[in-house]
Amino acid sequence: MPPPLVQEFSHNMPSEAEIASGTPDAALIARCAEGDRAAFRALYAAWSARLHGVALRITRDSGLAADATHDAFVQVWQQAAKFDAAKGEAGAWLTALARYRALDLVRRRGREVLGHEAAEEPDQGPDPLKQLMAAADGGALHRCLERLSAERRRLVVMAFVEGLSHSQLSARLNMPIGTVKSWIRRSLLGLKECLAP
Amino acid sequence: MSGIMDPEDPAPEMTLAAEYVLGTLDLAEMEAAGRRMEADPGFAAEVAAWENRFYPLASLAPAVAPPATLWARIEDSTGGATADRAAATPVERRPANDNRLLWWRATALAGLAIAAGLAAFIALRPPPQPVMAVLTPYGTPTPVLVAVAGPNGTILVRPTAAIKIASDRDLELWALAAGATRPAPLGVIPAQGTLVPPGVAAGTLLLVSLEPKGGSPTGQPTGPVLYAGKFKLFD
Repeated sequence: MPPPLVQEFSHNMPSEAEIASGTPDAALIARCAEGDRAAFRALYAAWSARLHGVALRITRDSGLAADATHDAFVQVWQQAAKFDAAKGEAGAWLTALARYRALDLVRRRGREVLGHEAAEEPDQGPDPLKQLMAAADGGALHRCLERLSAERRRLVVMAFVEGLSHSQLSARLNMPIGTVKSWIRRSLLGLKECLAP
Repeated sequence: MSGIMDPEDPAPEMTLAAEYVLGTLDLAEMEAAGRRMEADPGFAAEVAAWENRFYPLASLAPAVAPPATLWARIEDSTGGATADRAAATPVERRPANDNRLLWWRATALAGLAIAAGLAAFIALRPPPQPVMAVLTPYGTPTPVLVAVAGPNGTILVRPTAAIKIASDRDLELWALAAGATRPAPLGVIPAQGTLVPPGVAAGTLLLVSLEPKGGSPTGQPTGPVLYAGKFKLFD
């Protein structure tokens, strides 16, 4: 490999416009709706690891996570026409498909009884909320999560990332289920108000 | 289900949509909410709004490449295997009994000995899995990456040994098509390797750059290119 080429990549930072045009996920989904297999392959290449990672965190089972990722991409292909770029980000839509499938599969498997299993796993990384600050659109959510008490914030983040039900959260955190539900509901109302445009 | 008359819950519809997205509902509640989305556009819009609000949290789950066989399963489930093969690269159009031999060359950027970078591998009668050897400089076990096309055009990319990088970094794979000026991202390479769906043509330059955890935030390489090699037929 000629070294000049390598240098070029390591030093040329793309412009804002290039970044914007470089991630046409919504366009790829629109092309899937028209039956474009190449677009579907490109979408898989770009998103399979992220969606599988999300599903794996929820299912904690590589087989179930692969099933959820499979189902999500089949839905992408079949329901691409339902995606409306005006209503939200492509990534949010794709992630939601994978999460619903993962949640459905893991609930069917009856993980309710295994709710304690993950409690011993150490937290990954220094502070997950700091990562959010770095994420492009995570700043606003982070700011609003910061307004919640640490305990409520933990509850919301844990629920979303690990896909824990009210009863699992209750068992995991050793809190009455009524308290879990009430804390989450108040947190959701607060987040909605804080995130309102 | 959310208590309709719950004084603590002034907006049960909003709460149900949010809890559906958050993932705290049990199976029966999830299914009921899913059915309601089909029938009630207002509820579906509330759900979509929460999907977008919470989306940044998804980045807290590290990306993990799915099993190498998953793309083939998805192809089967979407009836697309035939279509995908028709659009295949020249690599895939070769007769099945051709030896699919690929040159692969790895160079490490500035400072790593070029001599350490030549890896030749030999694939014998590919289907179902190629048997191959990666020959690296004797006595210097520098890990290199191997990229090999499977029978259906998917490309297996895996390191020959653990590649040591900082814990807050990932290796990301890129494809620079012949004549292109900007590489296309192919995802982060987990320690055990990754599988790239069909679509990378022979003559494409594969690059591996060092990126922040989770991959380049810009869609283009931001860190140094550590490995590179042209994906091509071995004649």
